[in-house]
Amino acid sequence: MIDDRSDRRFSRRRILLGVAAGSVLGPFVPLLDREARGGSPLPFPTRIILLFSPNGTLHERWVPTGTIDDFTLGPILAPLEAYKAQLVVIDGLRVIHDGLGDPHQRGMGALWTGTGLRSGPFVGFNGGSAGYASGISVDQSIANTVGGESRYRSLELGVHTGGANVWTRMCYAGPDQPLAPADDPQATFERLFAELGIGMAGFARLKAERRSVLDFVTDDLAVLARQHGANDRIKLEAHLTAIRAMEQRNETATPRCDIPTLEFGLDPDANDSFPEVSRRQIDQLVMALACDLTRVASLQWSSASSIVRFTWLRQDVAHHDLSHLGDDDPAMVDQMTAINRWYAEEVKYLLDRLAAVPEGNGTLLDHTLVVWGNELSRGNSHGNHPVPFVLAGGANGRIAMGRYLRYDSIEHNRLLVSLCHYMGLDEQEAFGNDPSRGGLDGLL
Amino acid sequence: MANLRMWIAVLVLASCSNNESMDIDTAGSEPMGFADDECRQVGVTELRRLTARQYDNTVRDLLGLTSSKAASFSADEHVGPFRSNVISAIGELQAEQYMNAAETIAFEAVGQLEALLPCDPADVGDRPCAQQLIAELGPKAYRRALREQEAERLLAVYDVGDAEDDFANGIRLVIAALLQSPHFLYLVEFGRKDEGNGAIAPLTDHEVATRLSYFLWDTMPDTTLFAAANAGELTTNDGISVQVDRMLADPRARTGIASFHLQWFGVDELETVEKDPRVYPEFTPALAVAMKAETAAFANGVVLDAHGTIATLLTSELAFTEDSQLLTLYGVTHSMDQGLGIPVPLPLDQRAGLLTQASVMARHAHAEQSSPVHRGKFVRENLLCQILPSPPPDVDNTPPNPDPSASTRERFEQHRADPACAACHDLIDGLGFGFEHYDAIGRWRDLDGIHMVDASGWIVGTDVDGEFDGIPELAARLAESTIVAECTTRQWFRFALGRGETLDDTCTIDSLARELTEGDGSIEGLIHRIAVSQAFRSHRAAPIEPQPQQPRGDER
Repeated sequence: MIDDRSDRRFSRRRILLGVAAGSVLGPFVPLLDREARGGSPLPFPTRIILLFSPNGTLHERWVPTGTIDDFTLGPILAPLEAYKAQLVVIDGLRVIHDGLGDPHQRGMGALWTGTGLRSGPFVGFNGGSAGYASGISVDQSIANTVGGESRYRSLELGVHTGGANVWTRMCYAGPDQPLAPADDPQATFERLFAELGIGMAGFARLKAERRSVLDFVTDDLAVLARQHGANDRIKLEAHLTAIRAMEQRNETATPRCDIPTLEFGLDPDANDSFPEVSRRQIDQLVMALACDLTRVASLQWSSASSIVRFTWLRQDVAHHDLSHLGDDDPAMVDQMTAINRWYAEEVKYLLDRLAAVPEGNGTLLDHTLVVWGNELSRGNSHGNHPVPFVLAGGANGRIAMGRYLRYDSIEHNRLLVSLCHYMGLDEQEAFGNDPSRGGLDGLL
Repeated sequence: MANLRMWIAVLVLASCSNNESMDIDTAGSEPMGFADDECRQVGVTELRRLTARQYDNTVRDLLGLTSSKAASFSADEHVGPFRSNVISAIGELQAEQYMNAAETIAFEAVGQLEALLPCDPADVGDRPCAQQLIAELGPKAYRRALREQEAERLLAVYDVGDAEDDFANGIRLVIAALLQSPHFLYLVEFGRKDEGNGAIAPLTDHEVATRLSYFLWDTMPDTTLFAAANAGELTTNDGISVQVDRMLADPRARTGIASFHLQWFGVDELETVEKDPRVYPEFTPALAVAMKAETAAFANGVVLDAHGTIATLLTSELAFTEDSQLLTLYGVTHSMDQGLGIPVPLPLDQRAGLLTQASVMARHAHAEQSSPVHRGKFVRENLLCQILPSPPPDVDNTPPNPDPSASTRERFEQHRADPACAACHDLIDGLGFGFEHYDAIGRWRDLDGIHMVDASGWIVGTDVDGEFDGIPELAARLAESTIVAECTTRQWFRFALGRGETLDDTCTIDSLARELTEGDGSIEGLIHRIAVSQAFRSHRAAPIEPQPQQPRGDER
């Protein structure tokens, strides 16, 4: 299996220009730090990573105790103890759940867009049907501003996110334009790194050829978009935007990032591969940031109403089924705690990896903000308040970390505004359907 | 942002509390005045992108390459149970997937350049030969005549590739460009606007050919269809009928018919179903493949070979398999005097058509036990088109743990004791308990653990209400139901058009369903009538100005 897959990796390069297979894979060296050491003291870019885990948490086991700057983490967040000085735990945010859809659908659609759902074919538990979210997500809004400075405007990675529907999509380029996360670590590797191995001469030729093909496709799409209305035009224009981003990428300089060596050979869809896929996606996410391939990224673990079975925690009931059990059920409480704690351990792994990449006098983690959310507050209530949010990282010095912030049912849209401010979108006063009221008080 | 969509694709049982909710089936369908006439209203046709399977099949037929390139594409969307990318726009990741696939396919295609070329560049010259190839391949890729300007632009792409390297490299770029063009990736339709009635325009010959081939074959039109389109034969009922006859007789129809039934019965991805190996060590990947193949062969045998009906699909006792493991599971053997390819009869009191096939039973079950809930819900939603809401919050919807002291039925009955659950579960469990003779891999059982199986059930909220014992009895009832016939019609409509039905399609669906129940009932007949229907043969463009319309589901 592994051999087969690494063959595929080489053949991709061969296809890209007949470059001989087997070029030596160098050790992975972060691009930016090397440049910095070379003498030019460039400021390191500011990055943001959105994380999602599903089905709510158990607030009483998630919430810290103590005061704003002297607090103790609860059992669910305990795995992050080593990073306490680089956390902001935010309690008391409310995700607006108005309009169409059931709470899982609405919570997922609203998490990063702050908007409600359009009408559509996805039937939820209240018997009504709903469609995709009706607005752009915060990461894409940010990417529209800062994305041009890196090879990829943004990267959306996932772990077992499943089919294409409102439960499985959290990032949106616009209304009804959900972005599919990439679930397969192997495909992610090929997308991000395979082309980097074809050499300068090969890259020049690849660019010229792709330029002609993408020009051709652009013209077709532009003409068709003018000939269509309504949703058809939205589809064609979104496709056109994607092609234009690829054209732009094609014209940027060859990245000088050494190719990481990763071994795969796993089934990205099998239930029990979930932990392994999670680790491999995190590895590549960190490499992509370290190489400055992107500054805006997200990682989505499973989907709203996730039915992952945490067999590696000796559980055999699907996460969503478990999350419905009553508060007086000790099995529910233990297993939901274990699941949410497991996700906290994955967050810690991400932070570890970010902290292992040197950048100047600090690390990649110092220049990154990780934002971890959920589509619900609690599984058995399907509540929208308080939805658990955790910020982590150094945030390039823009956010005072090491705090536990409590709010009184404040719309989370204001957190989304703060994220825009953190990434330099200073003019942003509102996000999504919430009226303009600025960022979250006291965060930035 | 105004919402331009009208969704009524699903008939949701908003309330399970009483039988009134069952009447909504007819509540929203006012007579439209065309009952005995041709239906003139047609729902909006939105731009459809090829599914992964259509992409692979089309590349196979266009370039002769059989390895899957679409396996790594992001997941397809669904309309009802059927794959169709008709809802949302794509993003960069998917555009890149298309680019990577196109580059790989183009690379492989020029590896067998001679097979692809209509000319020898040594004889006619490189550039003229490239022109000939474009003139031949372009119309196939776009499924219509190539415009002069399109051919010129493709030649310009060739020139870049040729200048960078050589003739073959130029051809490689042309193929990469064709495969990334929206005219290849989407089913682009404009209709014959000059002949249209308002927003509804009859399709061009080539658009009809394309709809037919993706409907019946899940791939691009073949040479004969292209020829019929070029000859202008696909704008008449007769011309379309000739092609439907021919296409149903072609082996490729077996892909389409199988695909419909596999998706309708939820077993299209049976190979991804996981069973607990401690309970079901027999459930190997090979057995799952055999189960799925049996369902495909059965559907083809009934619909195409026997010209069968809904009743045949639901009541036939024949197993279309030679897989010894699967036959063992069914408790029969393939007798020696029977030729290969001859279906094997199963015990009539145990098996009845698709509903009792191992694939269907394995798919609608838990990893370690059967599931009356999943099975009942499946019948309610996929055969009766009555979509049930998911369980409300605060209910325990974990399946009861296997407990040898109680039968599956008893354990699930306990979980239904909560009045909050009972309203819906009365609609589900009465159907689901009827399946209790089939374990989680579809094997017949008289005992569930130490308990005698009780497969008595009931069906409510239909035109065939009543009690029954076991699935052969239930299947016989469903085979007589006009609701099942109407639902089957809807499913075929969704499959054929790749979109959900709207209020504007009510007349079409009602009339197709009526002809199905009043005629000889053959599925082939239904397919024929869909293919010549106004809905199938015309295009209604999405309005340029937002015109929000009430979804049918909101009228209640």
